[in-house]
Amino acid sequence: MGILKGALSVRRYRVIGELPEGFRDRWIDTLNTHQFREPQSPTHKGEVMGWTQAHNLLDTDFTDLNQWLYDRYAYFALRVDKKSVPAKLLRAHLQKRLEAWCKANNRPKAPAAVREELKEALELELLQKCLPRVQTWEVLWHVNDGWAVFTNDAELPNERFQKLFLRTFGLRAVPWSPLDELTGTEGLAEALASAGTTDLRGRGA
Amino acid sequence: MSDEGIEEGLGRSGATELLPPHVSADFYLWLWWKSEEDNGRFAIDEGQGGVEVYVDDRIALRSTGEERPSAVLTGESPATTPEARAAVAGGKVPRDIRLYVRREDRDYHVTLRGTRVSIAQAKLPAQVKSGDAAEVLYDRMFLYEELHWIVACLLRAFAAVRVSAAWRDEVVPRMARWAALDEARAGG
Repeated sequence: MGILKGALSVRRYRVIGELPEGFRDRWIDTLNTHQFREPQSPTHKGEVMGWTQAHNLLDTDFTDLNQWLYDRYAYFALRVDKKSVPAKLLRAHLQKRLEAWCKANNRPKAPAAVREELKEALELELLQKCLPRVQTWEVLWHVNDGWAVFTNDAELPNERFQKLFLRTFGLRAVPWSPLDELTGTEGLAEALASAGTTDLRGRGA
Repeated sequence: MSDEGIEEGLGRSGATELLPPHVSADFYLWLWWKSEEDNGRFAIDEGQGGVEVYVDDRIALRSTGEERPSAVLTGESPATTPEARAAVAGGKVPRDIRLYVRREDRDYHVTLRGTRVSIAQAKLPAQVKSGDAAEVLYDRMFLYEELHWIVACLLRAFAAVRVSAAWRDEVVPRMARWAALDEARAGG
């Protein structure tokens, strides 16, 4: 599902702020600055995010405008990777290590410090073997008209998108639902807000 | 930009924050009722002709004061079943509504979801099926824009009625009769 094919589920934004002079060239730099980068260490834990080309999440170089700027539309994607060791697997391996330690040291139970040390070492070992969970969502920005869509409607991905968008372009992306179109008529949204609830119960007779 | 600056810079949507949840529920209910009353015909902004709107194959209902749907009706024309309207007569309100929308020769299927009236699962008419990415992108974005505009027009039409005296004096009694008729059928 996305911008180019399939059913479309999006959150729409207004983009607030002036476009700087020569913005296209500036965006090449700023998108490259905030491009997705693989963590340097294979044992990196937690989230990593950045922009990628929409066509392939492995393409993170924005130098060629033709790859991501289509006339009035900027089209790219947000990639968020998260690496973590499955808790059940970590527990199971840790239990085996603790049993081995107790046997080797002829002790009934491992001290807390040893347990912690073994757990940390094991987590690093397993992190090297784990692949990250990779998520991408597309962004389409109508540069001339100042609106954008993000192909996810959940709160957390949208919060990440808004933050990285502001950090990258220095422009605010403000959620804009069809309801916001009502603000064009003065007093209408306020009048709606103060209108009471409609209840059809017991009124049909 | 610092993290603090980023937090401060994040905007919240005006009307979405301002409007209570029952506004979207009233909008969905009005669309549902009016599509049956007027055979799906809706006038949109002056000079722009009209659109056809019907409830499609899914409607999710919630109890007032709750967020999660308590009944999800699917299948062929679930909105026309006596059970669906009996639920409305019993106090349930629509939370998500899937619509079929037709303008000129273009057919859309879209779910309007939750209190934000989010556009979800929008099936756009296939104008350009293949070709280069740019062509497909321009075409699909034109269609998405049209759909967003149609939803906004419908919302404006609803809002004009909702804040008028006609809502209380004419619309609510007619909707109540419409719902009660089927409630009786469902019960009998």
